[in-house]
Amino acid sequence: MVLLAIIALAAGILCGLTDFGSIITDVLVENRDIILYLLMFLVGISIGMHRGIVKKIREYNIRILIIPAGIVVGSIAGGLVCAALTGFPVNESAAVASGLGWYSLAGITIGNLAGAQMGSVAFLSNLMREIFSFFMIPWISRHLNDYSCIAPAGATSEDTTLPMMMKYTNEETVVLSVINGVICSALVPVLISFCL
Amino acid sequence: MDILLVMCVGVLIGNRFFPEKYKKINEKLQVVCTMLLIFCMGVTLGSREHFLQELGTLGWTSFLFFLFPAGGSLLLVYGLTRKFMPLEKEKKKKEPV
Repeated sequence: MVLLAIIALAAGILCGLTDFGSIITDVLVENRDIILYLLMFLVGISIGMHRGIVKKIREYNIRILIIPAGIVVGSIAGGLVCAALTGFPVNESAAVASGLGWYSLAGITIGNLAGAQMGSVAFLSNLMREIFSFFMIPWISRHLNDYSCIAPAGATSEDTTLPMMMKYTNEETVVLSVINGVICSALVPVLISFCL
Repeated sequence: MDILLVMCVGVLIGNRFFPEKYKKINEKLQVVCTMLLIFCMGVTLGSREHFLQELGTLGWTSFLFFLFPAGGSLLLVYGLTRKFMPLEKEKKKKEPV
């Protein structure tokens, strides 16, 4: 699956750079939300087929917030380390890290509030987060634990990285991953505005 | 929120009506959708104006801004979940035989 994903990404970048097959790619890109909805529907079916999952999730209670809290605090701490390493302002660095992988929103918002350069860094770094987390999930599930697979994915854990969770973790982690994605996605605009 | 609604409909169908024999087809369709989404991500990226120049000048800085936040959250979530949300196999390890 990882190899397939690399090929799909490389083919996409190549098509984007060269305008190859632009009629088809334009249709695909314009309708990517429909593909995402279809994917979520199919993932929902897989979760529904796993009996007793709701009861298991209920047992977590307030502990369900541990993962999003860890992601937000860990990301902002990482942003502060980046500020020290690169010399960028602390608040702007924290804002870039607060994107939590949501590259489109982080890129545009930070670009408007902190200038084009920070906007580009926000876009690229959060895009890298989404892409690399996709490829890191198999390794993390093998060497750390299933829950940790959600951490690098951040706000993307409710959509693009979800099938990878399905393949390499379990249904319980998938449900936690969706809940985490919803919470993180809601927090991203708040955190960015707070930092800038 | 729409996305959650769509997923909930899927959960309901999977729980009540979806035949077990189509499980594999469902999994294969998920892979196809994921690859299409990744392909779209690549197209968006490649068609971005000055993409290659941006990657050249801000690539390393952006990589740092990916590495430390993702690494920080990974370490923290790993530590917290090990302490507060032990998995079944970890619980079993701790229980005396």
